[in-house]
Amino acid sequence: MGEHLIALRDVSLGYRGVPVLTGVSFAIERGDFVALVGPNGAGKTTLLRGMLGLVPTLAGRIEWGFDRLASPPGYVPQRDSLDPIFPLTAYEVVLMGTYASLPPLRPIGARRRHLAADCLERVGLAALARRPYWELSGGQKQRVLIARALAAEPHMLFLDEPTAGVDREAEAAIIALIAEQNQQHGMTVALVSHHLGRIQSAVRSVITVDEGRVEKLVAAGLAPDAGDELAPWRRGVQRA
Amino acid sequence: MSTLATILSPDFLLRDALVGSVLVGFICPLVGVYFILRRMIFLGVALPQVSAAGIAFTFMVYRLFVGPHPEAAVGERMLGLIGSGVFTIAATLSLALMERSGRERIEARIGATYALAAAVTILFLAKDPHGDAEIVGLLKGDILATTSASLSTMTAVFGAVLIALIVFQRQLLLVSFDRDLAIVFGRHVMLWDIVLYLLIGAVISLGVMSAGPLATFGFLVIPPLTMRLVSARMISFVLGSALLGGVTAFGGFYCAYRYDLPLAPAEVALASALLLAVGTFTGVRRALERWQAA
Repeated sequence: MGEHLIALRDVSLGYRGVPVLTGVSFAIERGDFVALVGPNGAGKTTLLRGMLGLVPTLAGRIEWGFDRLASPPGYVPQRDSLDPIFPLTAYEVVLMGTYASLPPLRPIGARRRHLAADCLERVGLAALARRPYWELSGGQKQRVLIARALAAEPHMLFLDEPTAGVDREAEAAIIALIAEQNQQHGMTVALVSHHLGRIQSAVRSVITVDEGRVEKLVAAGLAPDAGDELAPWRRGVQRA
Repeated sequence: MSTLATILSPDFLLRDALVGSVLVGFICPLVGVYFILRRMIFLGVALPQVSAAGIAFTFMVYRLFVGPHPEAAVGERMLGLIGSGVFTIAATLSLALMERSGRERIEARIGATYALAAAVTILFLAKDPHGDAEIVGLLKGDILATTSASLSTMTAVFGAVLIALIVFQRQLLLVSFDRDLAIVFGRHVMLWDIVLYLLIGAVISLGVMSAGPLATFGFLVIPPLTMRLVSARMISFVLGSALLGGVTAFGGFYCAYRYDLPLAPAEVALASALLLAVGTFTGVRRALERWQAA
């Protein structure tokens, strides 16, 4: 068994004391690429946000395999959750990722500025650094948010539907980028998606979230002919 | 030209008022940008009114229980400042704490706060046994009555706010732009909200005492709205708003002095005219760009 970066032990998550998911137990190992799949409203985003501490843990416990306050995880939110009223360039958005390990009163410094520029380059957007973030296409914005997550120098990346609302070409580029972080840089990834679809070839494990149940169906090596239980997610079936 | 030379002369009779006016015009937009970015513009209307209610309340209580306060005494402004500060900060913190709870939208609470503050201001004045033109003048914010002592207070408080905004800028931007990311990074978002609201409260309290609710609201909101139309970066948005506020305050003062106009309406009218001009210019430019691209 590999080293756990995060482990949920009989966890219940919910809002205002009302549980949405109960009895959730699984672990994500270092170097894993986990897809959280399930129909709309099943609780995938709640599960991801719960792991990040954005949704209250009502019961059970979440254990981290690293000091998450000293080295916070990288987080890529749904891009529509950000308000376009903020006048920020792509570079300024990425620079925000370097605040992760920066004490409140310390200046940003040259190293972090270079890190932000490097992360933009890693996602192929160095040429757009000075462009206003809100003028970028959906796919470009998503890559900027991935660069911002990488700028936190995290042990683990959490992404909430990173390919939602982008065209097929941009979707392929984003998936390739995330897969590269996992395969070449050893980054542990947890990603929410409606269905396996194009990410199937990249992911190593799948966690299904459906009707309040959470199951880690495939522990490692997701082959195209993996268990029948994955068939609905592979086909992208959206159950009501 | 001679009016400008008079105003800029070191011996100008209203020099303290001019400097005070420009200070309010410069500092209000620096906190006002957060009203725009957090989409809480109505707060810019409500808080100056709450501040005015605090001034009226303090004077009413003082006069009911202590007696008439010597007119135009230095302590009078301090009394008003205490009332204004306590009311504004209490209201700001209450709204901040309620922001994330309850079923109704934050706009509804701000609207109710404004209505209540306006009503109790009048009631406090009605119950003030010595309520007269002097207190009304304080509520309107008589910048022309600025003394060197009050100017020193303004410089000290606004200077402290300016330093805090510069030092905390990164944290305030993070919790305003992406609250979730701030939480993931382990930041105490409520603490940073409180810091921001305290700074806002300090600026509004002193702004209302010095320049009145109208000028304070105008400078909180209009320069940032203008600069948002032309800014692509935070630094130009924030600094541009402050500079525009300072320049508008000076221009408004010039117009008021030159044409014998009330100061606050002159400043707000000038700031609004600039907003209209910049809005028209950017609108036409974008329409032309779309037309050329088509």
